Amino acid sequence: MEQLTAPLQTLLNMLCGLLAEYPLAGVWYTAFVRFLFPVLAVLILWRVVRSLLKIPHTPETWGLLSLPNGASIPLTHWENIIGRGRSADVHLGYPSVSRQHAAICRGEDEGWTLYDLGSKGGTEVNGVRVETSAPVAMGDTITLGGVPLVLLPQTAAEREEQERKRRGERPAAIFPSFLWLTVFQVLACLQLIVAAGETAPVSIPLAFLGLTAVMWAYFAVLRCTRCVGFEMEAIAFFLSTLSLAVTASSAPGSLFKQFFAIVLGLGLFLVLGIFLRDLTRVQKNRWLMAAAAIGLLGVTLVLGHSKYGAVNWISVGGLSFQPSEIAKICYIFAGSATLERLFRRRNLTLFIVLTGICIGLLGLMSDFGTAAIFFVTFLVIAYLRSGDFATLALICGGAVFGAGIILRFKPYILSRFASWGHAWEAASTTGYQQTRTMSAAASGGLLGMGAGNGWLHRIAAADTDLVFGMLCEEWGLLIAVLAVGAVITLAFFAARAVRVGRSSFYTIAACAAGSLLVFQTSLNVFGSVDLLPLTGVTFPFVSNGGSAMMSAWGLLAFLKATDTRENASFAIRRRPSRQLTEEARRRAESVDDPFGPETEEPHEED
Amino acid sequence: MKKIEQRAVVCRILALLLAAGLCLFLIRYFRGAGDWASSAFNRHLYNSAGQLAAGTVLDRDGDVLSWVEKGKRAYYDGETVRKATLHAVGDLQGGIGTGALNAFADKLTGYSLLNGAFGAQRGGELYLTLDARYNYEAYRALNGRAGTVAVYNYRTGEVLCMVSAPSYDPLHVPEDLETNDRWKGAYLNRFLSSAFTPGSVYKTVTLAAALEDIPDLESRTWNCTGSVRLGEETIVCSGAHGEQKIGDAFANSCNAAFAQIAVELGADALRRHTEKAGLTGSYSVDGIPTARGSFRWENMTEGRLGWAGVGQDQDLVNPCALMVYMGAVANGGRAAEPYLILRTKNALGIPSLPHIPSKTGTLVSAAAAKKLTDMMAANMEKTYGTQRFSGMDLCAKSGTAEVGEGQTPHAWFAGFLRNENAPYAFVVLVENGGGGNSVAGTVAGKTLDVIVNGY
Repeated sequence: MEQLTAPLQTLLNMLCGLLAEYPLAGVWYTAFVRFLFPVLAVLILWRVVRSLLKIPHTPETWGLLSLPNGASIPLTHWENIIGRGRSADVHLGYPSVSRQHAAICRGEDEGWTLYDLGSKGGTEVNGVRVETSAPVAMGDTITLGGVPLVLLPQTAAEREEQERKRRGERPAAIFPSFLWLTVFQVLACLQLIVAAGETAPVSIPLAFLGLTAVMWAYFAVLRCTRCVGFEMEAIAFFLSTLSLAVTASSAPGSLFKQFFAIVLGLGLFLVLGIFLRDLTRVQKNRWLMAAAAIGLLGVTLVLGHSKYGAVNWISVGGLSFQPSEIAKICYIFAGSATLERLFRRRNLTLFIVLTGICIGLLGLMSDFGTAAIFFVTFLVIAYLRSGDFATLALICGGAVFGAGIILRFKPYILSRFASWGHAWEAASTTGYQQTRTMSAAASGGLLGMGAGNGWLHRIAAADTDLVFGMLCEEWGLLIAVLAVGAVITLAFFAARAVRVGRSSFYTIAACAAGSLLVFQTSLNVFGSVDLLPLTGVTFPFVSNGGSAMMSAWGLLAFLKATDTRENASFAIRRRPSRQLTEEARRRAESVDDPFGPETEEPHEED
Repeated sequence: MKKIEQRAVVCRILALLLAAGLCLFLIRYFRGAGDWASSAFNRHLYNSAGQLAAGTVLDRDGDVLSWVEKGKRAYYDGETVRKATLHAVGDLQGGIGTGALNAFADKLTGYSLLNGAFGAQRGGELYLTLDARYNYEAYRALNGRAGTVAVYNYRTGEVLCMVSAPSYDPLHVPEDLETNDRWKGAYLNRFLSSAFTPGSVYKTVTLAAALEDIPDLESRTWNCTGSVRLGEETIVCSGAHGEQKIGDAFANSCNAAFAQIAVELGADALRRHTEKAGLTGSYSVDGIPTARGSFRWENMTEGRLGWAGVGQDQDLVNPCALMVYMGAVANGGRAAEPYLILRTKNALGIPSLPHIPSKTGTLVSAAAAKKLTDMMAANMEKTYGTQRFSGMDLCAKSGTAEVGEGQTPHAWFAGFLRNENAPYAFVVLVENGGGGNSVAGTVAGKTLDVIVNGY
């Protein structure tokens, strides 16, 4: 380590010497780069946001259902509902077909299964009546309410046409964003050194250079596996850069810790993404994840110690972390479900029980911000799963009632919210943090005072709960708004990607993760500026804190797993799609030339 | 999947809520950022003692009233000048909200929405329209009594003199400031932020209303026997004025005549003319809102309406609004709106754009203004005497406002000069000062003498 930092230290000393000699150089540098940073941020995010919002694209096709009239309907998901209803994936306009007649689902083993969804007209496969479910093979005839459909693979020509189309829609090249981000990182690093003056620690350039290196290493490795979509990673790296800057300003001592949290978070992102590739494996582990969520929260309750009023920290061997952050990932994992499971268990009882336990544990820890996040995530997942407004309204009513009862017996909780909306009238007591945040934010103007030039970091929890204020103060309103905009983009992407999702598990998880990130951002941003009560949650990716950083990267894996653009995501298995093409070719060739040469993979040429 | 796609709208709704909340924050930010930044704990603009850490306040001819030296705020070397300009310049603790250090902190530091507080430490210069010397003379003329003196140019809007008392030395804040009655309302700029019972100065409004609404006003006479019975009330006069025409009734400040005129006009007409005169409105003096006057017109008995017509009952008037009204009378019905910032220079020495004068609406009709002017000029000859006001073509009205049993009345003197080279309107209020002409008139004379005849 010493050897690694020695040359960097020399360089830093030289720089500091120069700055001490020409103090005006630093002033002019800050005056210049504060105009440059918003421009760079726009350059980084513009391409990324545009590319993410282009979704949906041409969907993957997994098979065809040919109709009696000769037309055929593509199956664009692994889970498709067939029926007369408007919301059916395969819409059949025959009166004998029920609104939601049957579902046809593709398993990880490439076999299809047909489920009867309590139809009136009955469901048959090759003339045999299906009570609940039956396997279907390519070429089998499915009869729904007397309407015969044949499950067919696509022809080679159709597949090639589709793949050509999908390749044409490949995501925009993101490396320019990475380049701009590198410029941003280097300038930010210099700015922080200028602001710190002679006391600038070597950890600043080390952490920033480290992040740049990790970012390009990630890009290089994934590019080698022919991955092309890096939008979400670009957003995460951008926000992580801001996180490093905020940390360098408020707690230079924890800069390394924060850097390693980013690396660990990236690791978690990769591991979870790869794990999510296999739907069967995912389904098997949902119980484990439910247990992990409860376990993590339970352990915290038993071993945790309090910080700023909430018992949500565990210290092991000098390292402290917040297991509730990781529990969010487990909770979404456990709560999302495939369509197949949704047919088997129509009610949400078990999920409600899991939610109740989690929120109960969080309530006991007095971590009401995280409890609110779990509750909103629950509402999103439950609505996506059931679409049942009445039940959810009932649950919301129950939650309000429950909250009322809790407040009746623990009225001191209310005192936290006492100054909500009146922060300025309680500027030196309960509105202390909010008024400081607003004042510092206003001082930054649109362009900011320059990274490292703020005073808000002296206030408690400035780099976590009030980090939006620090962004406004040191980086300016423009960059703070862009950071929030980046999170909003992620949620919009999740909602739009549903149309081309493979399984409902992925789409539900992605929407839940997107909603969670958005809601958490709302609580953080609005809590710090007195639009909502200050609940003490973190800004995803930006706040200083290892567990929060890892959790944000982990949640991003759910979003990555729903990105079905051609070669866009490492969290999407490419083999199934490739196999279909190969099979289609083989079938086509076997007619013309049974001894034809093996064709090359069309994907390889990328 | 299509179903889930439809349900995914919740995800979008949450994202839109975040966006909407962000927009709400932005609206609040753009509206309130200046105030948020002007908090004493904001270390970009204030030092650790909560003093504005940058910016120099000067008067119109460049006397430096307050500046920053070695990180600490300094004031003009001269205790009386510091006291006389306290409410214009502001105190160190931010108690005086209308002081330049508070109200114009953004201009002093160069704070802006685009730049924030970047470079604020260097500070800018802010020239007030006031002349410290005029304030000094006016403050001395008040002689320790509570009240306010203000003079402004009704053609341009420049406020030349603005004093509020009691005042204190910002460098030696009295320890009993909050507790001793002697300092009651010391934080208040009485000129901008208070409203007082006007007494007879309000007769200028009643008279303007009568000039506009009663056609045969000038041919009529009123007989004053020292009091008049209106409904259940007896309106008492300062003496038995006998038979008098309107001009004499005005010069005599005859309560009996004006109470009867008020009843004849009726509450609605008086309300209309009072509102038209701007006495119930608020002016924005470089962004500082003035206090609104207030009147009661609903369910008034004849007697109470009579009292209201002579500036008693529930009437309350803001001195600034009254001064502007005087300016409007002088200026044919419309006056320039008052302002305090002559010019500014930011930290880089770049001067501000020149002030664009704005005029009030028509506060009084031109015809009524002309007649009112003549009668106010006649007041000087008939009642007040001109020897205290040498070199001035003065038009004025005094007021002695009863403020309660056992209390000395408030003394008012308000009016304007018709001099071509000194188009000034003024207002003087001495709280519990006694006679309007004798007390407030003398303060006005001393102040105007310095302004018109030099020092």
